[in-house]
Amino acid sequence: MAAIPMATATPTDSMSRVWSMSSLKSSLPSAVTCRLPSPSSRRPILVSSPTPRLPSFSGLSPVNPLISTGLPGWQSFEDGFKIIDGGGRVYAMRHGRRVPKLNRPPDQRKALLRGLTTQLLKHGRIKTTRARASAMRKFVDKMITLAKDGSLHKRRQALGYIYEKQIVHALFAEVPDRYGERNGGYTRIIRTLPRRGDNAPMAYIELV
Amino acid sequence: MSVNNRDPLVVGGVIGDVLERFTRSIDLRVTYGQREVTNGLDIRPSQIINKPRVEIGGEDLRNFYTLVMVDPDVPSPSNPHLREYLHWLVTDIPATTGTNFGNEIVSYESPRPTSGIHRLVLVLFRQLGRQTVYEPGWRPQFNTREFAALYNLGLPVAAVYFNCQRDNGCGGRRT
Repeated sequence: MAAIPMATATPTDSMSRVWSMSSLKSSLPSAVTCRLPSPSSRRPILVSSPTPRLPSFSGLSPVNPLISTGLPGWQSFEDGFKIIDGGGRVYAMRHGRRVPKLNRPPDQRKALLRGLTTQLLKHGRIKTTRARASAMRKFVDKMITLAKDGSLHKRRQALGYIYEKQIVHALFAEVPDRYGERNGGYTRIIRTLPRRGDNAPMAYIELV
Repeated sequence: MSVNNRDPLVVGGVIGDVLERFTRSIDLRVTYGQREVTNGLDIRPSQIINKPRVEIGGEDLRNFYTLVMVDPDVPSPSNPHLREYLHWLVTDIPATTGTNFGNEIVSYESPRPTSGIHRLVLVLFRQLGRQTVYEPGWRPQFNTREFAALYNLGLPVAAVYFNCQRDNGCGGRRT
């Protein structure tokens, strides 16, 4: 997984990894369209909606938009985009890494993933750390695939994995309508700001 | 699972669930207290009890805009059968001003999500002129697309969304 620079690359050099602030600033809108293409095929997101300055507002409010975002140490937009990145742990290679261990022994790991899938299927969208979100994708997809099949054996298999049986029954009832045409990829992960206590990179994971 | 467009409204699913794809042409700044709302920001219900300060851009004071605030994830994102819930509707906002200068047709109701993490979307439409927009009879089952089609508002000119979940935990596990 490559180290990805933040989303908004310049419109011109869409393939370069390094982007320059000048072209970003020029492409940020003052009153015009804001469609910012991006270079890679991964999932960086824009930190904030691009309204750094509103020239028509000199009279109304003295609030400086950059100060009121609540993010510390903000001098300009250049600092903000570095926050939602790989979390400092993004390396170029994944050689030989089969299973995400999540810093837990196998039984705890399985229980954690079962709990997370249960909660995701119950609430539809949860916020957790990025490692956990990307580890649980496989199991959420598995559960939805079981529900797509719909037979009694699959239902019992799902009941053995998900902690709450009402969720299994609800899942088996609504998955054919909701995901009938979709083949795989039933979740979406959106990276977000790190957690305050330990600066862990966080993400929302939601059912598509 | 990766999307081609990195626009946060597309990534967050707002374009698709609530809106059509549009081009942003007017600045929209929403502020709750001291926090400016950016796409995907996480805000608790205790911080959004009162209506936000909304300031819009544009140049000509003769143009009027409509602001709609909806929640597409009611009652729960996993089962949004009451999509969408209308929280706020302000019309006749002149350009370069804010919602204080508009006509608040549906008063602001602070969101209180019970289950899951809800997205709350604020959409700005451009009106053709000063028009009477009638309030919908009820707040749930609101459809932004139909509303825009009904009053000839066209595509949105600006949108922002944020996330909101209940203050104290997720409600626990209930068997």
